[in-house]
Amino acid sequence: MNALKAGLVKLQSWEGFLLVVLIFIILMNASLTDNFLSVGNQMNLFMLSIEKIIVALVMTFVIINAEIDLSVGSMMGLSACAFGWMFQQGVDPVLAIGICLLIGLVGGFINGWFVARVGLPSLVVTLATLIGYRGLARVLVEDRGIGDFPQWFNDLGQKGLIGPVPFGLIAFVILFIGLYVVLQRSGFGRKTYVIGTNREVADFAGIDTGRVKIVIFVMSGLVSAFAGLLFAARVGAVRGDVANGFELDIITMVLLGGVSIFGGTGTLVGTLLAILIVLNLRNGMALLNITGHIQTGVVGLLLIASVLVPRIKLPTVKAKEVT
Amino acid sequence: MNYFKTLGLTAALLMGTSGMAFAQAKTIAGGSEVDMVLLPKFLGILVFDQANEGAQEAHAELANPGDLLFQGPTPENSVAGQIEIVTTAATNGVGAVMISNNAGDQITPAAEAAQAAGAKVVTWDSPIPSGAGEDIFVAQVDFGSIGVVMADMALSITGGSGQFAVLSATPDAANQNAWIEAMKAALAADAKYAGLELVDVVYGDDQAEVSYNRALALVDSYPDLKLIMAPTTVGIQAAAKAMQDEGLCDTVKTSGLGLPSEMVSYTLNGCAPEFALWDFRDLGYLTYYTAYGLATGQLTGEIGETFTAGRMGDFTVEADPGREGAKRILMGPFTVYNAENVEAAAK
Repeated sequence: MNALKAGLVKLQSWEGFLLVVLIFIILMNASLTDNFLSVGNQMNLFMLSIEKIIVALVMTFVIINAEIDLSVGSMMGLSACAFGWMFQQGVDPVLAIGICLLIGLVGGFINGWFVARVGLPSLVVTLATLIGYRGLARVLVEDRGIGDFPQWFNDLGQKGLIGPVPFGLIAFVILFIGLYVVLQRSGFGRKTYVIGTNREVADFAGIDTGRVKIVIFVMSGLVSAFAGLLFAARVGAVRGDVANGFELDIITMVLLGGVSIFGGTGTLVGTLLAILIVLNLRNGMALLNITGHIQTGVVGLLLIASVLVPRIKLPTVKAKEVT
Repeated sequence: MNYFKTLGLTAALLMGTSGMAFAQAKTIAGGSEVDMVLLPKFLGILVFDQANEGAQEAHAELANPGDLLFQGPTPENSVAGQIEIVTTAATNGVGAVMISNNAGDQITPAAEAAQAAGAKVVTWDSPIPSGAGEDIFVAQVDFGSIGVVMADMALSITGGSGQFAVLSATPDAANQNAWIEAMKAALAADAKYAGLELVDVVYGDDQAEVSYNRALALVDSYPDLKLIMAPTTVGIQAAAKAMQDEGLCDTVKTSGLGLPSEMVSYTLNGCAPEFALWDFRDLGYLTYYTAYGLATGQLTGEIGETFTAGRMGDFTVEADPGREGAKRILMGPFTVYNAENVEAAAK
């Protein structure tokens, strides 16, 4: 009886609610479409959005820390375009990948430094770098498309690495496990939550809040640069508009996952469930030939619901948690 | 690999079939079931809806019991959305995907995957720049001739000399970029254009508000500007409206590629005295016939192959002069609209 009660309480949590929604969507997809469960479609489901969902994992850190990083899409574009440009200049592709990751690291550090050491709001800093990094990307490739990358590079984005499972999906799983351990099981993760809940308290507690913030922004830049390279490999060519506007989809997934935009609450499991909901919903609608406008509308409704439902439900859950 | 194969094939066929250009035209028989997807650059643009009308007309005419789906991404999600739709179409096992490509070469992996899944990939309006992943391109008009038509309109509107600027769609649109290049080539090729000075090329992203603001910015940047040339139906309408709203129509004219129904008032009040276009319904209709013929195996898509596309008559597969190794079907022709014929066409 108590176990049942505990189970029900767990289901009342946001993650439990997301899980129910996810199962419902998967059942709908499986019963309404012919090809949903095919291995190829399941891989496509992830790969069509692989760059976004990888960045959504680090975005969870950023938002729990009560910050925002709007520059991730531009950083993805800058990394992809820098790779294309260097490749065209004859730079060894492996070296070019290394330099792109370094660009992500430096770009993330710039964001973090202005937020943590100068004290500017991350909304302002990353809005500026959203424009700045995108501008650099456009300067590098101008109005051209650059392609004809080496076959091994394209294969990493397009072909299965272990059986049918492509490199991007493997990277996503490894990154999820690694970040899960850091966020939910390590001291750094606890600091991330404490700072997000109340930065002054964290300061008084002797936490080097600035350092934590810089590390998180560096992670965000680095992972975005990696995701940009993955995008270049997946589509086999780059242009100045690579990943344009991706930041909104990424932030949407994280918020839907129950991460509060005010910081301090949310989990990586919530983000993962939200990612799976959005991907399965989009894939199901696409297989049913539902057009783009309606897809966007449905995801929008989901987000509105995700803002409203916790307001209705959470008080009862909190009361139970206290007792 | 595929690319070189096509290239070799093209060269061989070109030599083999040049003597039989007037071969018997194949008739496309209807009645076979093929699911097909018509994919515009994005939703909400009138010309793409017209192309869909033309495709639906052909779909009914050929009595295809399968589905013809008109599926497009939203404007802000055009590239990723096009890739997603092509991928999903392949998963769903459609027989043909007809793409107005807005994703440049980035569409290639998805298009090749669709081909591997058994779908024919026919592009229309805007091709895949490299030609990889594409079976054939249905070209509205010869891209070189668009350049000459735009240069001639610029010549007649400006009275032979003066500054003009181009207001294009997105920087990545393969068709618009090719036309602008063709216009530059036309301007350089003939001394009669020597008085024309192309001062700038700007991009309005095929969105009305952005294009409107870019047009106004052009006027501010170039006080002597006499003409804005917009090779996009969104851009030309936005530019004409901007000039009309600001009372600038006497000094700065608008021209380019526009829809008669959208441009009629601007042509009659002198803001856009001359513009050109082809019929997008016909383009959709011809694209459907081509894709249906390929998907049912009635057409092979080899260079020199001639077929009858219903009410539009005979067309022949040829090498695309603008893209090495790629093949095209040329629709044509152009119509230049002015105060005399625009009202009739707008109905």
